[in-house]
Amino acid sequence: MKIKEGFILREVAGSYLVVAVGKAVKEFGGVVNLNETGAFLWKLLEKSSTESEMVDALLSEYDVDRDTAEKDIKAFTDKLMEAKLVE
Amino acid sequence: MPVYRIADVVFSAEHIYGYTPKLCEKYRYSGDVTPELHLKITPADIAAERENEGGEKFPDAYLESLALFRKLGDYILNHSDGMIFHASAVAVDGDAYLFTAPSGTGKSTHARLWKEMLGDRLVYINDDKPVIRRVNGDFYVYGTPWNGKHRLDTDAKAKIKAICKINQAKENAIREMSPAEMLMVVLNQTVRPTETEPLDKLLGLLDDMLKKVGLYSLDCNISREAAELSFGKMSGNRQV
Repeated sequence: MKIKEGFILREVAGSYLVVAVGKAVKEFGGVVNLNETGAFLWKLLEKSSTESEMVDALLSEYDVDRDTAEKDIKAFTDKLMEAKLVE
Repeated sequence: MPVYRIADVVFSAEHIYGYTPKLCEKYRYSGDVTPELHLKITPADIAAERENEGGEKFPDAYLESLALFRKLGDYILNHSDGMIFHASAVAVDGDAYLFTAPSGTGKSTHARLWKEMLGDRLVYINDDKPVIRRVNGDFYVYGTPWNGKHRLDTDAKAKIKAICKINQAKENAIREMSPAEMLMVVLNQTVRPTETEPLDKLLGLLDDMLKKVGLYSLDCNISREAAELSFGKMSGNRQV
């Protein structure tokens, strides 16, 4: 799974924002607000990442158990797919 | 060719129609500074504005004025550390206050309540689309001729003391907002560039501005009490 071209993550005023640039603006004119974990996962997906790679990365970075990590990642990637931000 | 000074940018402009020079009359410049910018609006720019306005049947002359403002805004973002901002901006005792909200919420109405309360102490900077610029690290708001339906603007600038989001409510209440919270409000009040470089400039300006000015959220009805509450809190308990 990988973030589509034209979506960028920025840290502004203590918030993580995802906005579209270039041609992607026509498909997506809004702003996505991510929390810190969301931004961490987003950065992995910028380079392309599988769900199990994301789980491993999350476990090594945060104090969280595998079940919770898997559930959270599933919920996060579902939302990204729904918003058509990934391919 | 007419020369104007808007938001401290001196520029010359070529017009097709007579509406824009009339609109900008107050901002005509006859000083010694050489214009730093020349703006020319083409029929293609006018067509692009018509598309932006959803294809509505506005006169070309009006759309030309919007195109000019857009080009000036692009220039200010890219060269002058500033942006066009959708708000009603007033200055009281020299300090600027901005009321922001989606159209129709009551920005202008609340600004009018302040005017009724404060009289000559209050100067309307711009009731709809002022320009904000960062000068030596501080944020200033400037009058522009694109001043909303009440035609209220002054060719003046003032340092921004606070920004307030207006919410319609039965009871009056005011609270401080965090920069993160206000960011989601102000992102909708600026023209968001579609290319990465100007977008990063805009986000950088907003990030800095939200650290440097007071941020408030006001629930309000249309009353003097609402104006007393917001002015007291935003001005740091200055006397009415």
